[in-house]
Amino acid sequence: MTEVRDRGETTQGYAAPPRPDATLARPRFRASRGATPSCHGDVPGAAAPAGSPVVALVGAPNVGKSTLFNTLTGAKRTVGNWPGTTVEVGRGVWPTTRAAATCDCETCTCPRQAEPVTFTLVDLPGAYSLDPASPDEALTRELLVDVEPDELPDAVVVIADAAHLARSLYIVAQVRELGLPLVVALTMNDVARHRGIEIDTYALAEQIGAPVVAVDPRRRQGESNLAAAVLGVLDAERPAPRAVDLPGHDGSPCGAMCPLADCGLEDLELADERFEWIDGAVHAGTRDTGDARRVRSDLIDRFVTAPVLGPVIFLAVMWLVFQITTTVAAPLQDALDGIFTGPVSDGTRGVLAGVGLGGTPVEGFLVDGLVAGVGMLLTFVPLMALMFLLLALLEDSGYMARAAVVTDRMMRRIGLPGRAFLPLVVGFGCNVPAVAATRILPNARQRVLTALLVPFTSCSARLTVYVLLATTFYPRQAGTVVFAMYLVSILLVVAVGLLLKSTLWRTMGADPLVIDLPPYQLPTARLTLSVMWQRLKGFLRTASGIIVATVCVVWLLQSIPAVSGAGFGEVPVSDSVYAAVAKSIAPLLSPAGFGQWETVSALVVGFIAKEAVISSWAQTYAIAEPASEREPGQLGAQLHQTFEMASGGHTGAALAAFMVFLLAYTPCVATLSAQKREIGLRWTVFGVLLQLVVAWALAVATFQIGRMIW
Amino acid sequence: MSRRPLSAVLAAFEAGAESLDDVSRRTGLDRDVVSAAVDQLVRMGRIDARELAIGCPSGGCGSCASGTSDGQAGCGADGPSGTRSGPVLVTLSLRRPSA
Repeated sequence: MTEVRDRGETTQGYAAPPRPDATLARPRFRASRGATPSCHGDVPGAAAPAGSPVVALVGAPNVGKSTLFNTLTGAKRTVGNWPGTTVEVGRGVWPTTRAAATCDCETCTCPRQAEPVTFTLVDLPGAYSLDPASPDEALTRELLVDVEPDELPDAVVVIADAAHLARSLYIVAQVRELGLPLVVALTMNDVARHRGIEIDTYALAEQIGAPVVAVDPRRRQGESNLAAAVLGVLDAERPAPRAVDLPGHDGSPCGAMCPLADCGLEDLELADERFEWIDGAVHAGTRDTGDARRVRSDLIDRFVTAPVLGPVIFLAVMWLVFQITTTVAAPLQDALDGIFTGPVSDGTRGVLAGVGLGGTPVEGFLVDGLVAGVGMLLTFVPLMALMFLLLALLEDSGYMARAAVVTDRMMRRIGLPGRAFLPLVVGFGCNVPAVAATRILPNARQRVLTALLVPFTSCSARLTVYVLLATTFYPRQAGTVVFAMYLVSILLVVAVGLLLKSTLWRTMGADPLVIDLPPYQLPTARLTLSVMWQRLKGFLRTASGIIVATVCVVWLLQSIPAVSGAGFGEVPVSDSVYAAVAKSIAPLLSPAGFGQWETVSALVVGFIAKEAVISSWAQTYAIAEPASEREPGQLGAQLHQTFEMASGGHTGAALAAFMVFLLAYTPCVATLSAQKREIGLRWTVFGVLLQLVVAWALAVATFQIGRMIW
Repeated sequence: MSRRPLSAVLAAFEAGAESLDDVSRRTGLDRDVVSAAVDQLVRMGRIDARELAIGCPSGGCGSCASGTSDGQAGCGADGPSGTRSGPVLVTLSLRRPSA
């Protein structure tokens, strides 16, 4: 046995004699027929007798090619269900018999008779076609097309996936054009049956012009039929290359009927002809017995992707997600809050008192800073986990694909570029990768516009603040409040997009866009939990990294006095540098109804990351209210008081204005950094100004209109 | 049976087909043939197919379902991952005939 490890690289026993210049060595099937077994190392065994026919196994990755190879040769090669399993060319010996008769059944166990036959079996790298798009495919092409005629295999077995027949037939069409003896081995027949696809191997064989044999290498079924088919094509005359009657190509070098390779067609024409042949083969050889899953999917899609009902259903689903999230997670959140403000804070104080640090700035930093700030954020873990779980369930079920169709339709109606949909969808998870995703847009104007719109998509970090405020002020309607913020986010993207498009980018075109809709399926626990955990881990990583750093800086600024005569850590927060900076900005936000330094300072900190809004509030109120030191977790009551005072009693209007401002202003420094990288400093600065102007104008309008109602 | 399936699929995209099922309805081609045709058109560079996701995994692009097999960034990769379960966005990019 021999093998080629890579193009041009040969191992012992494969190419003989060795060439002086190894780089010129070309992979060959039969440099030494029946050569001494060697090379691969993982496949010990006997060599095929000299002159044994060489049979090449060809097929796309993941169709069971390596499994069939191992079954036929008894080799112990690594077989796995991932692309590129066969990255090397393997050789093995396929001992079989020339049976007196063959039978039609896939599960044939008929006793083998007559003479033993041995093939040299070559497992070529996985390839979707003979037009190479990867080194694997290039090697397969080289071994089937570019070698000298006497180096070609005696027969080719193309492994085709019965469950995705059309996908497997392109390479079959190409091999038929080579005029090599061909057998098609159908794998995945059980999967096809499960999907309601019945294959008529006789009709398919007639259409293809080569024997078609159903095999199941995992259960060692169909082997003898495959062997018989291979012997049959070896005994028969070599088939003529597939010719084709091409209307309008009478002027081709060989006339109207010619082998495809000689027709001088353009690549699309050539591929089109092959697909016409594939379409014919699929029609003749398969019968869809009514894919129940697909029919059910079509029925559901009739409603969920309908022009009017679709968006309504989408909004209802999202409302339900937020409602379930806030309702179910609320008790867990309260319990965690109790743990951090109670035992954890008390325990930390006790330990510090025990080592003589009670009442010192160290206690202030650890208890009122780290425990209060990070602890408050960690109370959101159950909520985030539940929301990520529900979204993962929707994704895995296939519904999110429908939601994408519904949203995309809306985007296209307002004239935004179709591809911009992708980064904007990503933006609802996190703005940073969403800005990076604008690279897929081919046009610089589209990239800039989309990167400027991304910060208006409400990322999951902002969700924590919405939930805190919604559960504090409107505990019974918390889900609806959060849902409303996502609606506002979508409307903002649309409105700002239209504004920019009608001013700066009036000539920008829109690309057509299509979305693949997979059939609905029952979500799998493993995949859903894995997605949930990945996203939750990201949230925890932020909480443990940037938030700890922010808490330290905030604590430092809150400890530095802004008044003379006081020492470090000896002033109330309202007299600290932290409050002084916020107080200087606060008047700007008074028209929006939240011009108190406590809220303004949180927004300033939120510039770094939105999760920091919560931790800074927790720090501010934990320190600012020494009278409530026993219950520093009473953040809600203190927020109530702050908003009420700032708005002159119009708490609801001020709250709405604050949340709109939070949604629209700069998401975080990481997003700014990504923007600078993708669209440059000038556009980034323009974006920040745009966000601040939009946020301020909307917040003021919300409060001024809202105060007339609330 | 349809003549020139790949051209028919491209024409359906250009005419505003919104999903592969929609392409199948417009062209009269089997859903499996449409799916294979899209794969072929992606390989030929005639269309572009990209994975959609609601967010990015914290493990970075290398752990993303839309990441390429060599661990490169998925947002903007040249094709969807074989492990995808979510929507795939297909954008049409017509190749201009060379002069």
